[in-house]
Amino acid sequence: MKKILLVEDEKPLCLLYEEELGAEGYAVTSVHDADSALEALKRVAFDLIITDIRMPGKDGVELISRIMGMRKDVPLIINTAYQSYKEDFMTWAADAYVVKSSSLDELKARIRELIKG
Amino acid sequence: MIERHSFYFTESQKKGTRELALLSIISQSLFQPFSLSDNLIVILTALTSGAGVGFNRAMLFLKDGDSLRGEIWLGPGSVEEARSIWEVLSTPGIGYIEVIEYNRSLVSKNKDTLTKRIRGLRFPLDEKGEGIPGLAERDKEILFVRDARNEPRVDPQFLELIAVDDFVCIPLLARDEVLGEIVLDNAITKAPIVSSDIKLAGMCGLIAANDIYSASLHRKVVEMEKMAALGEMAVFVTHQVRNPIAAIGGFTEQLLQPGLDEERRQRDLRIIRDETLRLENVVTQISRFLKVSLKEPAAFDINPVLVSVLESPELKAKLAGVRLHVKLAPCPTDVVCDPSSVGEVFRNLLENAVEATPEDGAIAVSAYPKNDRWFVLSVRDTGSGISQADRARLFTPFFTTKERGMGLGLPFVKQVMDSCGGKIEVETRKGRGTTFRLLFQTKERERPQ
Repeated sequence: MKKILLVEDEKPLCLLYEEELGAEGYAVTSVHDADSALEALKRVAFDLIITDIRMPGKDGVELISRIMGMRKDVPLIINTAYQSYKEDFMTWAADAYVVKSSSLDELKARIRELIKG
Repeated sequence: MIERHSFYFTESQKKGTRELALLSIISQSLFQPFSLSDNLIVILTALTSGAGVGFNRAMLFLKDGDSLRGEIWLGPGSVEEARSIWEVLSTPGIGYIEVIEYNRSLVSKNKDTLTKRIRGLRFPLDEKGEGIPGLAERDKEILFVRDARNEPRVDPQFLELIAVDDFVCIPLLARDEVLGEIVLDNAITKAPIVSSDIKLAGMCGLIAANDIYSASLHRKVVEMEKMAALGEMAVFVTHQVRNPIAAIGGFTEQLLQPGLDEERRQRDLRIIRDETLRLENVVTQISRFLKVSLKEPAAFDINPVLVSVLESPELKAKLAGVRLHVKLAPCPTDVVCDPSSVGEVFRNLLENAVEATPEDGAIAVSAYPKNDRWFVLSVRDTGSGISQADRARLFTPFFTTKERGMGLGLPFVKQVMDSCGGKIEVETRKGRGTTFRLLFQTKERERPQ
């Protein structure tokens, strides 16, 4: 089973993604802040990372760069409410940039593309 | 006949003391935070007072679109008025500060007979504008008009208004922009207008123009700050709105799946309801913050307002598990503030205190008169305190350390306190808690008849 790390501070969204991605056959581990994300990455070999950018009191872009430094070749999807970060060059290194919406279709499609086989 | 004068001093001026006197009057307009109209009155006073340039009358126009609009006309309306005004103003002990004050009260009370005559009058300022007073603007030069009745370029309506033979038109220029005009004459004394008076008047004109220019820059800066804040708001609101939308959309999709058990259904509906409430809260908070103006501050007894907040059921529920100490001293005077916002301000501080306070912590609320002038409302918590970095951004809109905060609570508190001349004091120590003190101005309570 493919393992996904979800970094998301919105609890209802964590629940939604866990259930919906679980139904697609992925094992989802969700964490609510940057430190726990880095901790989890040390322990588990994930197949994909989905992360939000901005969380209260933290610089999301810095978090992304730290995750990128650690993840080696694990694909990364930025899933955020902010369209504006798309222009930030730090986020170019991500494999996909999905703006949060009322439908999960796009997120699911990107996950399928990035986790093959 | 028209004589043209340059703005700049070309020969050395010998009457040093007079220039000094003039400068000291004008410096009033540069160093005190007066409003633009106050500053302009200072400059017109400098032009007309005996200690300054000493013209009899000074007329001020401001540029409004493609015309000059009459604003203020300082000076006596007739020989009789001149006699009585100048008698008052030449009383020993009356300095220019008193004269400025006198002129300001005349204009503000609309008692100035000359101002009444020009307020709202307009003279054209278009490119072809050949007539006086517009000509000085077009040519960007000081114009000394003599024998005006035989000078065809003087606008007939203007001649009727000013009704003198000799006058000086000073265009108000800043950064090559035309901002208005000052017209000076000696209608009462008929004293000849000399070249040195014109040079000094030109200097006053440059300063007046600069005042008008800085006032317009200030307006632009305020506007830009507003736009910047709006931009920041848009980004923040996007986040606050997209997250609940994603949750509502996602869980609605789940509900539409067949065969969902009742427990899941209930849970999904609860989440959707909560997220809808959250969206509603976003809208409420933003509209409250954007409310164009607060109500006029009024004087009222603050204690009943505080009690009603403390006794509200929602607050009681939030306060459960926290020790609350309340000490409200009777307030012998009224406080001055927007009465409809004070409750909300107090609730904001209490809610912040509750969120900062650990389970076994305590919150102390006290209200007491500090002295005759100030009444204090203090909310103290035993929470984690505020870090140095966060302390600096405490009142910045859309700055928050809360997971679901909007960052509008304390900016709202500041907005309310600023609008009624109140003060906010914050004392915080890491790990020891935070105290917010609101200082309200007091006003003696009117006794019921």
